[in-house]
Amino acid sequence: MRHVLLLSLCLAAPSALAAQAAPANLAVTIYNDDLALVQDTRNLDLRAGRTRQEFPGVSGRISPETVTLSGADVGIVEQNFDFDLLSPSKLMEKAVGEEVTLIRTNPATGAETRERAKVLAVNGGVVLQIGPRIEVLRDDGLPVRVVFDGVPENLRPRPTLSVTVDSARGGARPVTLSYLTRGMGWKADYVTLFDEKAGTIDVQGWVTLTNTTGTTFDNADTLLVAGDVSGGNGGYRPIARSLVRAGTEASDREQIGDFYLYPLKERTTIANQQTKQVSFLDVTGAAARRAYVYRNDWLGTAQEPQSAASVLQFSSSRDQGLGDALPAGTVRVYQRDQRGKAQFVGENRIDHTPMGSDISLATGQAFDVKVHPVVEKREKVSSGRWRTTMRYTLSNARSQAVSVDLIQGGLWGDVRIASESEKSVRRSADEALWRVAVPANGSSTVTATFDTRY
Amino acid sequence: MRGPRFLLAALAAGIAAAPSAGQQVARSQGPQSVAVTVYRAPYRGASEAIDLRWLNGYALITEQRRVTIPKGEADIRFEGVSGGILPQSAIVTGLPSGVVEKNQDAWLLSPGSLVDAALGKRVHLRRTLRATGAVREMDAVVRSGPDGAVVIQTSDGVEALRCSGLPETLTYDGVPPRLSPKPTLSVRVRSPRTTSATVTLSYLASDFDWQANYVAELAPDGRTMNLFAWLTLASADDTSFVRADTQAVAGRLNRDNVRARRASAPPLVLRCWPSGTTTSDLEEYQPGAPEEIIVGDVLNNLPQMRAMAPAPPPPPPPPPPPPVMAQQEDLGDLKLYRIPIPVTVAAHSQKQVALLARQGVKVETVYRIELYAGNPTTASPVRRVLKTKNVAAQGLGLPLPSGGIAFFAAGRARLMLLGRGAVEDKAVGEDLELVVGRSEAVAFEVANLSPAGRRTGEWELKATNRRSEPVAFEARLETGGRALVTDSTLGTRLGSPLWAVTLGPGESATLRYTAPQN
Repeated sequence: MRHVLLLSLCLAAPSALAAQAAPANLAVTIYNDDLALVQDTRNLDLRAGRTRQEFPGVSGRISPETVTLSGADVGIVEQNFDFDLLSPSKLMEKAVGEEVTLIRTNPATGAETRERAKVLAVNGGVVLQIGPRIEVLRDDGLPVRVVFDGVPENLRPRPTLSVTVDSARGGARPVTLSYLTRGMGWKADYVTLFDEKAGTIDVQGWVTLTNTTGTTFDNADTLLVAGDVSGGNGGYRPIARSLVRAGTEASDREQIGDFYLYPLKERTTIANQQTKQVSFLDVTGAAARRAYVYRNDWLGTAQEPQSAASVLQFSSSRDQGLGDALPAGTVRVYQRDQRGKAQFVGENRIDHTPMGSDISLATGQAFDVKVHPVVEKREKVSSGRWRTTMRYTLSNARSQAVSVDLIQGGLWGDVRIASESEKSVRRSADEALWRVAVPANGSSTVTATFDTRY
Repeated sequence: MRGPRFLLAALAAGIAAAPSAGQQVARSQGPQSVAVTVYRAPYRGASEAIDLRWLNGYALITEQRRVTIPKGEADIRFEGVSGGILPQSAIVTGLPSGVVEKNQDAWLLSPGSLVDAALGKRVHLRRTLRATGAVREMDAVVRSGPDGAVVIQTSDGVEALRCSGLPETLTYDGVPPRLSPKPTLSVRVRSPRTTSATVTLSYLASDFDWQANYVAELAPDGRTMNLFAWLTLASADDTSFVRADTQAVAGRLNRDNVRARRASAPPLVLRCWPSGTTTSDLEEYQPGAPEEIIVGDVLNNLPQMRAMAPAPPPPPPPPPPPPVMAQQEDLGDLKLYRIPIPVTVAAHSQKQVALLARQGVKVETVYRIELYAGNPTTASPVRRVLKTKNVAAQGLGLPLPSGGIAFFAAGRARLMLLGRGAVEDKAVGEDLELVVGRSEAVAFEVANLSPAGRRTGEWELKATNRRSEPVAFEARLETGGRALVTDSTLGTRLGSPLWAVTLGPGESATLRYTAPQN
């Protein structure tokens, strides 16, 4: 029965320090940029005066400097984040000067003998004092079990947060621990089924959240915030080119500051190393059309005809559109094959898109619609001025007529179009656009002469 | 020993926070039927071959699965999905009730994750006596994480696993929840009654690729060729798709740069306290080189060794029209090729099915050189180019997906490889120009006729046909759109002057022109 007593004491030892209550209420707010705010409410039975409280089960990637603890009649004396992890070496090092039990096993008979020993030093090897004699642990290579009386207080299996609180009164009460953590983030994924004949799309939106914190958040009240809270840091990043016209309609979604909120309808368990998807949007029969865009980046010749980009155009407006603000993510587009099975036809990224926006999503290159830009002539007009004649041959091997947005880029500020076979629109100082009709199984030609400075 | 064990069990049970117990789990062990659509690597050029060790294409996998859905809330686990699954692309349809959420768990069962999940929980410690073989088991509670080593607490006290020199190990009562052998996709559903349903699960998976491989057999007169193509598809996935409806999609699709997250399978590292002895520092006892045991690496190295072997012999001549040939259809702006019979897309394998075959495609041969008019001393080699148009009148008139092409000379006792090249994606109606290879039989010379230091240069180009039959020769003089001064009549190709002549056997022709110096 001596063992029983010892073991129960050992097991009880850590809890003498702190009431290790499991979270009573866990609320997680997840931002887009690998950041989450965790609010962990536990029922703690606090004594009056100063006590140290441990919080196991917090995120493995917690930012300890962001921790705050709040509760009724509770003041914080100090917060500690212990990352001295329990290992055999640490256990032995902390036992220097202390006594341990050695259990030797007779290799011939298996008989066990016990004795107490004092650990003198742990430098390269373990030096022990057993009664009057000094010995090196397992110097003879025979099996020796070293049994420690307990685990030292500040050695943890995992990095552990502890808070010393000063309570004005004794008794149980809810206490909320909140902190920021890395390792959790979310984005949106859209499944879009495009019916080309009907000119409609069915869209399902899913929020995809990932947890790589090393911790499982059980039964958490989860809120997703569409926004980047890194304070505009992080340098420049490419802007997804899918947004054509930013919308001006306000979504019915709840907002905080500049951010839209996407609360999950019910509590969920976000397991470690889990990718979780929850539906947030389901729209059928929104209007959509296919368009073709080709951009010639400079006044140059392509060796072979180049495929035009195949673009899916739709709107996020309330009528005729998806009717919602769209959080940033990936839109995957599917179309049915002749047997009626959905096949993947390309994807692209969208940024946070307000409601009422026009979206133009390049899903890939058209096999059958091509543009061949060729420099026909380049003449020197005067010193520093040139005249360049371009010919664009647009071909369409499809059995329907198509319209191609032909864009000539690289025009800078002062390039003028001296003549052209059809009227262009100067979209910007840099770009001219022709909307060219190309007949079914046929081709069209556009020519233009540019007056450039060189 | 009954007493302590009982007590320990009770204690450990109290410590272990039982996670969401009572959750129903329905398993779907494998698909009843499966369809695989393979997409080409988005950034691989037409002339780049498939690298079987590094496949950058992907596939859309569509599975039909029969599942029994219990009443109430349940997780339906889809086992045996492709290892390269992109979980956020998964679509589940056909469930009678709504999906609460979709999950993919990538915390894998491994020695390290077993210890990690057992932290604070009751396990069994098994010791075997070397002397007698007697086995002793006792209960223990894991006190440390798996990084570094395992510290356990027994009724004796606190000990470190396998630091004593005794044969000892931990055994567990069961696999902890949420640990799975492979990344596992599951959906949580809520059903008012027990029911069974056939659901369709589709997802994108990495580690696939495909391309066309053309074989062109050129008639002895050089005016026609027989064109045959293989649909070559490759899988580096661990899952075999048996009797799958198999398709390949041609064309360039946009892909967002997303990679499937690696699954986490922590290893268990056992490290004891310093174990030096009174003799371990002596030089005489320097241990020899540690014994290296390589497990599995030999297999991993195999493909590399194969890759270093000499190049494979040229592919065999095209067979007569094969009984099974892919059927082409339009899919939006892409082309879909369907293999008409179910085939098995095996793990780590390459498969070829006939893609298309055309006999007697009319072609013209031209010998072409490309050079800069202002500096013709650096020029491309003289290339033999087959020209045709992708129309029915020429014997073609079908979409040609990109891939490599090998040219053979037909009608000889021994098959001859003439050259190898590539075909870009070509739509119906497009001009088709296939570079067979460089030619040494048509010679080309350049002479500078102007003194050095002039702002314009006068040049003379000379082409000679050393073949025994007449050839069409052309030189494209790249001027960037500017005009040349010459007495000869020049055509135009891609906006630049083109000198085109027909040379009889042994004949030469010259072109003189003046161009601004580059």
